[in-house]
Amino acid sequence: MSKACLVDLTKCIACRACQVACKEWNELEAEHTEFFGAPGGYQNPPALSSRTFTLIRFVEMTDNHGKLKWAFARSGCMHCQDPACASACPVGALRKTDEGPVVYDDTKCFGCRYCMMACPFDVPTFQWDSPIPLIRKCTFCADRQRGDVAITSVNDRPLSEESLARHRDSDRTPACVKACSTGTLKFGERGELLAEARNRMAAEPDKYIDHIYGEQEVGGTSWMYISNVPFDQLGFPTTLGKRSYPSYISPAMKAIPAVVTGLGLLLSGVYWVANRKAKAAKSAQKESEQT
Amino acid sequence: MRHEPLRARFVTPGSVVLVLLMVAGVVVAIVRYARGLGAVTNLSDTYPWGLWIAFDDLCGVALAAGAFTMAALVYIFGGEKYHAFVRPAVLTGFLGYVFVAIALLVDLGQPWRIWHPIVMWHKDSAMFQVSWCVMLYMAVVALQFAPAVFERLGWRQLHELWRALVPAFSVVALSFFTFIMSHSAIWTVVVFGVFAVLALAVPRLFASRAGVPIMLIMAGVILSTMHQSSLGSLFLLMPNKLHHLWWTPILPINFFLSAVAAGFAIVIFEATLSAKSFGRSPESELLAGLGRALCYALWICLVVRLADVMIRGQLAAAFSSGKGLIFLIDVVVGLMVPALILSSARARESMTSLFTAATLAVVGLVFNRLSVALLGMTMPGKVGYFPSIGEFIITIAIVSALVLLFTLSAKIFPVFTREEQEAFGLPGAASQAAGNR
Repeated sequence: MSKACLVDLTKCIACRACQVACKEWNELEAEHTEFFGAPGGYQNPPALSSRTFTLIRFVEMTDNHGKLKWAFARSGCMHCQDPACASACPVGALRKTDEGPVVYDDTKCFGCRYCMMACPFDVPTFQWDSPIPLIRKCTFCADRQRGDVAITSVNDRPLSEESLARHRDSDRTPACVKACSTGTLKFGERGELLAEARNRMAAEPDKYIDHIYGEQEVGGTSWMYISNVPFDQLGFPTTLGKRSYPSYISPAMKAIPAVVTGLGLLLSGVYWVANRKAKAAKSAQKESEQT
Repeated sequence: MRHEPLRARFVTPGSVVLVLLMVAGVVVAIVRYARGLGAVTNLSDTYPWGLWIAFDDLCGVALAAGAFTMAALVYIFGGEKYHAFVRPAVLTGFLGYVFVAIALLVDLGQPWRIWHPIVMWHKDSAMFQVSWCVMLYMAVVALQFAPAVFERLGWRQLHELWRALVPAFSVVALSFFTFIMSHSAIWTVVVFGVFAVLALAVPRLFASRAGVPIMLIMAGVILSTMHQSSLGSLFLLMPNKLHHLWWTPILPINFFLSAVAAGFAIVIFEATLSAKSFGRSPESELLAGLGRALCYALWICLVVRLADVMIRGQLAAAFSSGKGLIFLIDVVVGLMVPALILSSARARESMTSLFTAATLAVVGLVFNRLSVALLGMTMPGKVGYFPSIGEFIITIAIVSALVLLFTLSAKIFPVFTREEQEAFGLPGAASQAAGNR
């Protein structure tokens, strides 16, 4: 089973605790930014970067009465089921794990930045100001998810199975989800979260847009969103289609051995014909010289 | 036909200028390695690829295509009379790849890890394919140029060894390439079998053409084909960014076809240019023949491009948007106009119109690659991109290094044949001819 995250944007109040927790857990440096520097006014910083893996976006829109209204959205890795970045990476530094996260290996990457070009959500970022740069992006706290429980006893008394399980669940929850106080973020099994999303939408059909963003986009993603505002207005790319991105390139990659073989046969055929022609021309020349 | 080094002075005012431009590039490169890519480029998280990828790499590889198109034309398609064009084209091809490699060393985030694809395999990645094609094809072209070095240095035994080992190398290179790109034992055995049989059969069946390293040439043509097309494959992963006037499932095929055309165009362009700069008339009959080959190649490119755009129902977009204008320039100026010029036999025999058409085709190729990598892209957000001065300086420096290396190589190694030197009016031949009189 693979882990996933459901984001219910109707619950988000843009406290940005997730943004801060993400910085803390990943030990990311502060960014030098300007207030009101980004399009959303209060949004800060303006975009994802090698120092910001999670970003709450402030989308300004007008409500039915013509008044200014804010809608909040989140930027971060979608952890695609079949990720374009992993297919793009020439050295296999990016990889979709069975557990859900798309992880990156610092020791492999040589900085070609093809993953950044390939990502349909424009998530991977690059350390442009570093002489030893790496790609940076949300890890879905794969390190936390893999981790074992740190505390097994309290006052020398071992924890009960029940407490241990609770600790384990808590420790394995991504930092942003743990920090979310409004229930916007929910961590769990993908199938269960999809069912949960459908339940919420069925319970309040007037509130929600009838779409689970990430259920089918680019073949499905581990991070999924539900919202009361249409996704295109929130700045989500809505024309990506349901096809997984690697499937656009795999036919070309799979054709390679056949093309190599075919070209070998074709070229030798041409060579054979050209050679016969040359020989025929030569003997014809000889004959005409003799006569 | 004997190849001989050009007899000309090594230090000329031109070469001094080239060295100065290279020094400027080295200065920028030092800043780039000390302070990161952000310090000298306008690249950003929105535009991770810029001038270096679009021009230095994509165009560099396509303009190196002369090496494999000429080798295929002369040794496989039986166009022996074009023999004199092969060595200069192979040298240009090899230096073109050196150019690409240097550009990569500047552009990659951690260039000291450039060897990683050798041991870290990822067969699904077009970039992995690109890496291996660069490595293997550079080895093939270096081996193709090696006889010139052996001749110059008089290394007979090494030349014999080369002759003996080159067919085996070619078979192994192609089989290995198949294996790493498919991880399929069956395909590897098939490819090994096919090419091993060819390597054994060819010298027996075609004794008349012994001495030509036919397997090496075939390996070069195949690896080039794979490389040129793989650069197109890269962009298959970007159907959301690249406008569908360029994005198509057959993008790798389009890249291959346009590279073939570029190969002929660059050979005509270079031959005419070197002749013009010495005030002599080049071998017009041969160049007209190449002009005809270029003409076919351009028409094929054009028909495939237009048919593909029409079948996918994108033609209307060509007349209704800014991207459409770029597409029209790409197709009309880069393909249609030179193809129309070259369709006339009289135009092919006129040096001016032949040169014009070849230049248009070269410029058109560059414009096409820039379109795919930059101009035809729609990136998210409002951040734009125009190359920085640093990016231009590095690019100019590498081009300068390429030109300098080409002229130096032609002066040191036997690249041009005597006949060709006379035909192109190159300086060594001129002084020789004068001396003979």
